Amino acid sequence: MRVWDGLSSRGRVSFDSRPSDGPIAYMTENQNITRGLLAALEQQAPVTVFDKTSVEDIQLGPPPDSSLSSLNLSSYPHVMLSSKQRIGARLLVGADGINGPVRTFAGIPTRGYDYDRHGVVATLKLDMPQDEEVETKAYQRFLPDGPIALLALPDGFATLVWTTTPQKAAHLKTLSSENFIASVNAASRLPIVDIEYMSTQPDGQTSELEWRSSINPANELERTGAVPRTIHSVQEGSIASFSIRLRQATTYTADRIALIGDAAHTIHPLAGQGLNMGLADSQALASAIIEAVEHGADVGNELTCLNKYNGEAWMRNNRMLGVVDKLHWLYSMRNPAVVAARGLGLGMVEQFGGLKNWFMRQAGG
Amino acid sequence: MYLSTTLSEVPWLLASDVVADAVEDLIATLGETTATPYFIYRLRDAMLSDTTGRRILRDRPRMTSKTIDVARLQQLPENTVGRAFVGWLEREGIEQDSRDNVRYIDDEECAYVMQRYRECHDFYHALTGLPVFVEGEVALKAFEFANTLLPMTGLSLFAVLRMKAAQRRRFWNTYLPWAVTNGVKSKEIINIYWEEQLERDVDELRAELGIETPPDLRETRRRLREERKAAQEKENMGEQRQK
Ligand SMILES: Cc1cc2nc3c(=O)[nH]c(=O)nc-3n(C[C@H](O)[C@H](O)[C@H](O)COP(=O)(O)OP(=O)(O)OC[C@H]3O[C@@H](n4cnc5c(N)ncnc54)[C@H](O)[C@@H]3O)c2cc1C
Repeated sequence: MRVWDGLSSRGRVSFDSRPSDGPIAYMTENQNITRGLLAALEQQAPVTVFDKTSVEDIQLGPPPDSSLSSLNLSSYPHVMLSSKQRIGARLLVGADGINGPVRTFAGIPTRGYDYDRHGVVATLKLDMPQDEEVETKAYQRFLPDGPIALLALPDGFATLVWTTTPQKAAHLKTLSSENFIASVNAASRLPIVDIEYMSTQPDGQTSELEWRSSINPANELERTGAVPRTIHSVQEGSIASFSIRLRQATTYTADRIALIGDAAHTIHPLAGQGLNMGLADSQALASAIIEAVEHGADVGNELTCLNKYNGEAWMRNNRMLGVVDKLHWLYSMRNPAVVAARGLGLGMVEQFGGLKNWFMRQAGG
Repeated sequence: MYLSTTLSEVPWLLASDVVADAVEDLIATLGETTATPYFIYRLRDAMLSDTTGRRILRDRPRMTSKTIDVARLQQLPENTVGRAFVGWLEREGIEQDSRDNVRYIDDEECAYVMQRYRECHDFYHALTGLPVFVEGEVALKAFEFANTLLPMTGLSLFAVLRMKAAQRRRFWNTYLPWAVTNGVKSKEIINIYWEEQLERDVDELRAELGIETPPDLRETRRRLREERKAAQEKENMGEQRQK
């Protein structure tokens, strides 16, 4: 993994694992995880999946009927599906993203703010000789508006996450694919002044990149792997952008409700932690549920089950949200003194094995 | 390390001539060697941020007696940039010279930026009408400083410390305010492709850049000299009458 600072030539760290330790972290496309999880679910009967169905409403069950000695469901959330089915739940887990209906139903407020940044994502094909070993490196360069990350995928593909201002993100999406590719290549190797200039032009990025690359050749850097390979093409229809936010629900649980993943928290993608945090949430919630079931306790009850999950996940995520938020602000500063200190900081990380290992463990999640 | 002087520091330094002398010595030795690379990067980046600036860097045009033909410029209509330039050369009694080649900067592009900066300097004089003696040069440096926010040209303001009291007052009251307001509000003049502007109307170019010409310094000096002479004569006559 290579991390460097666009404004300082000194701030550069390479995180390489020793061969005996195996890779630092695994990168996998979200669809692989989803496919894996669906396959695992099929083994876990009886689980019913309602495909292509959305949650239209959530309500509490009806008040108890005094004439019948039936179950009192008035504290159970009932989910109304678009297929007109209605499901009462002992525990409703909201894994429904930042604007999902579960948190709204539970009336749990969130804290945080929007970064005034968009993340531009795309799937790219790298320029690579046919016979060459596929390299699996992750690159991240901190530019003043936000980092640009190129994460290697198998077969010479890479995924792009480029955090930038909403205006620049919108501009990138208007470019022809040639000019989009030239802009990404420029952002991973040229000086900031060239990147900024290119981001103001409606056209001509390809020619600008060609000229500036002849003035600042990166051949050597590219050969040694210090900068990513140039991008050859962009997969059609893969360019998209998302607004970048910081959110933390004030609590992850309520009576018969648990929030996990982005429904509970949303983080700046600069450390690539969003999905990891969601996976850690589900792990923590699952272990709380297992414990409750083993003790014959009610899994929807906060005291007997959910508080354990909330206590474990909330603080851990809060720390991560804080660190990543500070990194965003640190790297968005252009003040030369801050840039110098940043260079020194990354330089120190590069020098001290212990610190570096700590960062590597964090990235691996 | 580089030295930079913010405008607010200058008056404070003026108060102390001892400090001024020491600082000036320091600058003489440090200025060229340490401030230059920084200054050159700033100037190059100013060019790289501008479409015309980038075109100049791609083409790398040179101003020599071949490319800027004085005889041809003299044939241009009144009030063109080219005519203003030769007019200024004549007024100041300067031969158009091709400046020394820049030698001590390794980076090819930066060396060119330095070359360009030197070669354009006379055009800045022509554009602002400022003369080449110290007072005019300092005012022009102050203008460039404000225009590009460069530390080295800022350093030249120390020459102010060497001026006579009347000149210094004029600088603070007239030329510095002119330099700062015009320098800040006008476009970066390093990005002018002079070779393409020679036949333009000079006032039109000034308006486009947002530059107003400062009070004519030679004229001011001449007027003051005459006033002084007249006052002197009056005094002499008075003395004679008393005798
Ligand atoms: C630009 C960008 C780059 C990122 N890069 C990384 C990265 O490199 N690594 C990483 O780990 N993370 C990254 N993330 C974060 C990651 O994408 C999220 O953290 C992760 O997707 C959260 O998963 P989730 O399942 O909690 O929520 P989501 O992915 O938002 O899923 C919520 C699901 O709920 C469904 N839903 C919502 N409402 C309803 C309803 N009413 N009825 C039915 N279904 C509903 C939605 O359709 C959706 O499928 C990035 C995020 C962004 C914006």
